[in-house]
Amino acid sequence: MNAQLETQPETAVLDLPPEVVKLAIRDLDFFYGSKQALFGVNVSFAANAVTALIGPSGCGKSTLLRTLNRIYSLYPGQRAKGQVLLDGEDVLGPRVDVAALRARVGMVFQKPTPFPMSIFDNVAYGVRLYEKLSRADLTNRVEESLRRAALWDEVKDKLRESGLSLSGGQQQRLCVARGIAVRPEVLLLDEPASALDPISTARLEETISELKRDYTIVIVTHNMGQAARLSDHTGFMYLGRLIEFGETEQLFTSPVTSRARDYITGRFG
Amino acid sequence: MTLAADAPAPAPPRSARGAALDRAFEALCFGAATFLLAALGGLVVSLVIGGWPALSTFGVRFFVSAEWNPVTEVYGSAGAMVGTLVTSALALALALPLALGVAIFLVELCPTPLRRPIGTAVELLAGIPSIVYGMWGLFVFAPWFAKHVQIPLMTAAAPGSLWEKVTAGVPNGAGIFSASVILAIMILPFIAATLRELLLTIPPQVRESAYGLGSTTFEVIRKVSLPYVRTGAIGAIMLGLGRALGETMAVTFIIGNAHGFPSSLFASGSTIASTIANEFAEATGELHTASLIALGLVLFVITFVVLALARLLIGRQAHA
Repeated sequence: MNAQLETQPETAVLDLPPEVVKLAIRDLDFFYGSKQALFGVNVSFAANAVTALIGPSGCGKSTLLRTLNRIYSLYPGQRAKGQVLLDGEDVLGPRVDVAALRARVGMVFQKPTPFPMSIFDNVAYGVRLYEKLSRADLTNRVEESLRRAALWDEVKDKLRESGLSLSGGQQQRLCVARGIAVRPEVLLLDEPASALDPISTARLEETISELKRDYTIVIVTHNMGQAARLSDHTGFMYLGRLIEFGETEQLFTSPVTSRARDYITGRFG
Repeated sequence: MTLAADAPAPAPPRSARGAALDRAFEALCFGAATFLLAALGGLVVSLVIGGWPALSTFGVRFFVSAEWNPVTEVYGSAGAMVGTLVTSALALALALPLALGVAIFLVELCPTPLRRPIGTAVELLAGIPSIVYGMWGLFVFAPWFAKHVQIPLMTAAAPGSLWEKVTAGVPNGAGIFSASVILAIMILPFIAATLRELLLTIPPQVRESAYGLGSTTFEVIRKVSLPYVRTGAIGAIMLGLGRALGETMAVTFIIGNAHGFPSSLFASGSTIASTIANEFAEATGELHTASLIALGLVLFVITFVVLALARLLIGRQAHA
């Protein structure tokens, strides 16, 4: 047992076979002003799979998520160094059309953020930006998105009402519907269930499992049960570094690094 | 240790004292509100009484006639009403796009180190006394405007064309349009500063969501940010309009002070406030004074209607 402990590696990151990789992160450093928040992260996320990022607060998992669609670049002073390859193309490059990138890499936030417009218009918002659909096609797209987000039955009779009139859990599923309506390739979820009650959480989890057939999903979560239930791969982060990354089942049952094991068994975090 | 000795004695029931205080507090607040309402009512009543000789002499003609002649003692408020509404509407049309631009620049685009200084400068501008704007308008803006805008436009107009009618006037830079420009400059900082405050109240996650769907900055502002603050924005715009309607000194300086309907964009005209300011000291006859007071009543009603409309709009938006 002791001998085993001594040979444990500091970090253990599983290399995915290149043909399944959708997003590859190479030597990523991230800075909030002069404060460094990510240190040399190297990891790949598989297509049509759910990857969960776990770790204690402030470990950099949300920051990592926010580099993937460059939402951080709204704020002067925040910058990323390294590469984030989406289908082999570096999204951190200077010539990237950021708006077009974000249409390919959608994001759902911790708190629901409905826009001040009707339920229908909320879902149609992103679609209208990038596609010229006929009225009928748009209506179909909105219905399909709301169905996939498991919200259709609750709102089908009040699509003209304000998105703000829904309950918190419904608003969050509305945001998911809005995110998938534009048919992104990657969907980033930043603790999407943290403000939800258990029933809404369960429905959202069903939705996510359902969605992975078509999307590459990366989810940041504090809830380890959720990570274990939902994800195919899990990454454990600590103090801005990716400590361990691998198959979810393997990482939760027999973590290789002592930090990951301590966190998962509840010894800290 | 006296405290310990006192402790067993039953404390006076706090609720009785609290309730008495509370009643006194409520009465004070009620008194303050009643006083304000009474003052407002008294103002309206005294305006009606003071203006009654004019209203009863001229009847409806006071509101529809633009003839204002102290020599023949014939008074009609339509000219000043039109002057007031036209200059205020023009001022708002000029100021609003600029104010929006300033606010959006400060919130979305301005480099961080410059945000605070520029924001403070805008707020300072909102506090400059109106007489300063009026003087600047008369001595600096009007001559420049006459030379570089008015005269070129007038000479460019074909004789007999509609454009000639619109630009006709004494080329001294004073008139309806100059007054509108000065008013626009005056209400611009107020509207810009208020819009900026409103835009800053939008939760960052809502903006991020909009950007996260692939919107450009323009799309985020037009489709998410502005709708998010529209209730407050309408209020800010209406308050700016209210200020333009009642503005006296700056307008009196530069509007040219001619009675009757303004005949063109560059012609001299008058507003209700400027007429009152110009003539009150010289009003001799009872009818003249009464007409000026009635004019004040008209301004009161116009401003009240504008603010009431704003309320109505805000109320409807809040339900939408």
